[in-house]
Amino acid sequence: MASALTLSVNGAKQVVTATPETPLLFVLRNDLKLTGPRLGCGMAQCGACSVLLDGEEVRSCITPVSYAVGKRVTTIEGLPAIWAEEKGLSPADADKTLHPVQQAWIDEQVPQCGYCQSGMMIAAVELLAKNPNPTVAQIKDAFTNKPPSPHLCRCGTYAAIIDAVQRAAKAMKA
Amino acid sequence: MTLKADTIGRSPIPLTLTRRGFVKMGGTLFVSLAFPAQFSARAAQNQTSLDPTLIASWLEIRHDNTILMRTGRTETGTGMSGYYAQAIAEELNVRPEAISLLMGDTDKTPDGGYSAGFLYGMYNVRKVAAYAYQALLGLAATRLGVAVASLTVTDGIASGGGKSISYGQLVEGQQLDLKIPVTGKPARMERGEVEGLDGLTVSGDPPMKPVSQYRVIGTSFPVPGIPDKVTGKTQWSCDVALPGMLHARMVRPPTLGSTLVSVGEVDKKQFPTAEVVSKGNLVAVVSSNEWEAISAAIFVAVRTKWTDWSGLPGSENLTKALRAYKWSAPAESRGKAADVTAALAGAARTISATYEQPYVRHAPIGPFVALADVRSDGSVTVWTHSAQSQGLRAQIANTLSTPVEKVVVRWLEHSGQYGRTTLGGDGAEGDAVVLSQLTGKPVRVQWTLQEDLAWSTVSPGWVSDIKAGLDAHGRISAVHSAFYSPSGDIRLLGAILAGMPCCTVKPGGWVATEWPYDKIQDRLEEAYGMPKLGANSVSGGLRGNIMRTPGQRQQNFALEGLMNEAAASVGADPIQFRIAHTSEPRLMDVLKATAKAAGWEPRPSPHQAATRTGNNAVTGRGVCIMVRQNAYWVGIAEVAIIPATGALQVIKFTIGVDCGKIINPRQLDRCMKSGVVMGLSEALKEEVTFDTGKVTSTNWTRYKILTMEETPEIRVVQISRDDKGFGGGSEAANAIVPPAVAGAFFDATGVHARRIPLTPAYVTTLLKG
Repeated sequence: MASALTLSVNGAKQVVTATPETPLLFVLRNDLKLTGPRLGCGMAQCGACSVLLDGEEVRSCITPVSYAVGKRVTTIEGLPAIWAEEKGLSPADADKTLHPVQQAWIDEQVPQCGYCQSGMMIAAVELLAKNPNPTVAQIKDAFTNKPPSPHLCRCGTYAAIIDAVQRAAKAMKA
Repeated sequence: MTLKADTIGRSPIPLTLTRRGFVKMGGTLFVSLAFPAQFSARAAQNQTSLDPTLIASWLEIRHDNTILMRTGRTETGTGMSGYYAQAIAEELNVRPEAISLLMGDTDKTPDGGYSAGFLYGMYNVRKVAAYAYQALLGLAATRLGVAVASLTVTDGIASGGGKSISYGQLVEGQQLDLKIPVTGKPARMERGEVEGLDGLTVSGDPPMKPVSQYRVIGTSFPVPGIPDKVTGKTQWSCDVALPGMLHARMVRPPTLGSTLVSVGEVDKKQFPTAEVVSKGNLVAVVSSNEWEAISAAIFVAVRTKWTDWSGLPGSENLTKALRAYKWSAPAESRGKAADVTAALAGAARTISATYEQPYVRHAPIGPFVALADVRSDGSVTVWTHSAQSQGLRAQIANTLSTPVEKVVVRWLEHSGQYGRTTLGGDGAEGDAVVLSQLTGKPVRVQWTLQEDLAWSTVSPGWVSDIKAGLDAHGRISAVHSAFYSPSGDIRLLGAILAGMPCCTVKPGGWVATEWPYDKIQDRLEEAYGMPKLGANSVSGGLRGNIMRTPGQRQQNFALEGLMNEAAASVGADPIQFRIAHTSEPRLMDVLKATAKAAGWEPRPSPHQAATRTGNNAVTGRGVCIMVRQNAYWVGIAEVAIIPATGALQVIKFTIGVDCGKIINPRQLDRCMKSGVVMGLSEALKEEVTFDTGKVTSTNWTRYKILTMEETPEIRVVQISRDDKGFGGGSEAANAIVPPAVAGAFFDATGVHARRIPLTPAYVTTLLKG
């Protein structure tokens, strides 16, 4: 049965009506109109739907919305605010500042079709929070071997992603 | 960016409001009231296509000096929108940031056509910009009271006689109404086939800016759509929602040939808003709630009964099945059979080999999605990510038996297509129009990954027999290749399954090679087509399609494999051997530059330490080339193999290209590296598997693609030339990977790899001999 659930998404309280087992992805996209996370495989094999739950990457295509209750959900739309809070930026500065991972994705011209890139950026934010200075091998390992699956890109932007993660790492230390 | 008008190289077209001179050159110019184009998510009603002979259909100059260009071609993820903006900006003498593009909407773009690369796509917009530039020069000269020849234009501001005026001011409140010559016919159904897929062509010969004066082309202008993709602002085709829209999930037959026996019922207590909709063998569950549609579709699927069918050979028997087919005459043949036969008979010796590859597929990360709104008045609007909006439109009109004028196709970005919709075929669009017609509501059809990997079109498996004759000096004197492969099918899947009208499909095949070795004088290239596997099934079987660098990707694997084998047979270095068979300086230059970047030391293959046994890694290097669309490609792979386990790792890949004038070096670098990743994926991992009834490689653990960890160091070599025109740079990098990897495999092991993918299991089999 559908019921009212209270979520914290990108810093805002949201009340949605959904059955508890509804995957978080569909609530974010269809109810909250947050279209950054996208449906790829629907079975946690690709990473296109990744979001942060209390800072940990989860695959929203298989995460029941009820599991997100009481946790902080972050999509790519919410990354600039996280960074602004972390750096204590003024509202005026925050408005014109992207998360360094997003900025690096632009500067390194990472996306081709771009469909998988929301999930890639979420994975990068999580990685850099745990390891602020990852080597190329560590980046490859994080995007490939961390459960539940590799983050897949069919356009083949892996080299660009590695460049962007390294650029973001530098920017976040500056 | 400053350019003097009189340096263009030709007299600008004289312009007044009734210019006879311009009419003679194919145009008229006057200004009229503008009606700004605007995006609307509403369903279109009976909208007609724009008149392609009016420049205002293509180009709109706004008061703030920004410019909108409309084109039927679309961004496919290679940065095309950036290249277009650069080419347009160059001809108009404006900044590329001033250009915005409206792409792919059939009611808002004039030309249609393939989204298959810059060479085809830029042709029209660049010419339109060049025509418009001449018109603007004339207008500016009149307004400023100076001669055209004394004008300079910088960033869209024309100056002369101490005064200046912007393009925006020149046409403020009005729009350019300039007639331009256009040839061709729009996409349409003709005798049951989809024709006109290449769209309309802007003809005539407007003055173009010489390469020596380029300011924008050749710079790494940032691809425009990227910031919005990174921040979540892009509206993707999967994001479009209409009021009253239903979400649909398809219930597919269990095999490619099953027919419907009975449809399962939905449990209304459990799924109160879900409904089952079916027509023929097309079965779907719709609901206003997406998750309910998904859950109810699973519920209905297990309660829906289908007939059994088996009519596929099974993927492990693919080669046998292709060999068993009674091939008739080649669908295409190039070269003189008699000369090649004689040359081979007179050769000092011959070598021959068979190359092959299983079925592979485009396999985007985002499965097909489409939204259709079919109204009772016969109007149809479809939101899609197809790379061929007009061709899709023609097919949809045919399926729904509605006039093509009543169908509007709107394009938005989505996951890459890699060629699978270039010819006007569908994904979810056929399903969506049928379901919208049946329900009377807008229907959004989202395919699942399993469905996409089982039911979308595929790049067919193939076998190629190839033979070379060598003379007494160890040079190749003749080559004969025969390429065998099942053919394509661009029919709409939804229409096939629903039993509605479809276009016709015929077996075919084509020679895709652009022959790179002019010193090999006698060659015969044949391409044989056969019906699809499972063609007689109600779904059409394994429906073939083109895929990135189509045909040439496959045929080049055989040709370059043969070149590596021939070089080895005469103890020649594979790069020296290639140089000995061409007199094309561009090919030689890029070969040498790429070899240098890769640290290539000349020697024959295999390596003296090559071995097919042992637990220690053996290394090897291999090379291949390709010529395609005025571009010269070189790939050099370095691999490490552990013979005992069959593990093959590509350690480094060096890729070089001379594609004429490079438009955007950074984006070309991105496309080359990512193309290498796709090529490695095909060389090492990809294979569509199927049993006797259905595709079985239906998730990412069964249809494996390359991961980041498997991506080697990739070095890029670019050669830009000002005097060779433009070449295709963003597509073909994938195709030069498999032959180079196979060459490196031979170098390391002394065993020729004539089939991909080189999985550990296959490598082990190969090395055991």
